[in-house]
Amino acid sequence: MVDHHEHERLLPIANVGRIMKQILPPSAKVSKEAKETLQECATEFISFVTAEASGKCHKENRKTANGDDICWALSSLGFDTYAEAMLRYLYKYREFERKRINQSKLASNQEDDQASTPTSGSNGRSNLQQPEKKCEQTTAITFEFGVLEKGQSSKTN
Amino acid sequence: MRQAGIYSAILPGGVSGKAGPHSFPLARIKKIMKKSGDDVKMISGEAPIVLSKACELFVEEITRKAWMMTMQGKRRILHKEDVASAVIATDIYDFLVNMVSDDHSANSEHEGLSTTPAAIMDLER
Repeated sequence: MVDHHEHERLLPIANVGRIMKQILPPSAKVSKEAKETLQECATEFISFVTAEASGKCHKENRKTANGDDICWALSSLGFDTYAEAMLRYLYKYREFERKRINQSKLASNQEDDQASTPTSGSNGRSNLQQPEKKCEQTTAITFEFGVLEKGQSSKTN
Repeated sequence: MRQAGIYSAILPGGVSGKAGPHSFPLARIKKIMKKSGDDVKMISGEAPIVLSKACELFVEEITRKAWMMTMQGKRRILHKEDVASAVIATDIYDFLVNMVSDDHSANSEHEGLSTTPAAIMDLER
């Protein structure tokens, strides 16, 4: 009794396999069954954390589960190290999104300026440089974060 | 203007044409989230992004623990039994106990995965 749409209810096995391969030594092998089991476990992890987060939202009469709720749920379910790491990740993501939106707003403002008054165009240009710089900084911070993430994996024991 | 550098720095695999910037496809994560219960009404855009990363960490951790079981058995092939041992040995993985036991009918939501006794091992590097 195999559900032919089963592959849609699970996370893709290719993604699971890739993460496993990156963690294991090059000579290690993984049985197909083990990979499938991990695929199921990872999918269940998503459901489990989501249910906890949305339960909290429901109790607080909130309709939308956000990133903070996910972090809270991770901590509540005993995944403290993930909760901490995800709060930092979430912070950086929000920073990145904010800068991205600001930059596109400034870009459209500059276009308006240049269209109407040529003299204010130079102001627009210098404004545009700052967000770009900050975006580079964000990239630099995220690169650092990325490296820390890998090193930190040994602490999760 | 997509700044691929941001996400490629966070992920070990980096940005590839197939993978996209996240460990798992966000649409699939959203689907799984929506099915997780009646309480789930709306999900903010950032929630699947955070969960994708958390899930990556989860797969890494459980793989590491399972591999330790493999090594204890002096083997080089990670089997389902090693995943099961890792789950049983870790308190916070209690929610997975039914999933790794041989009796799949214990959890009716997760029936369908065929685990034939003569499971063919697909050895992959």
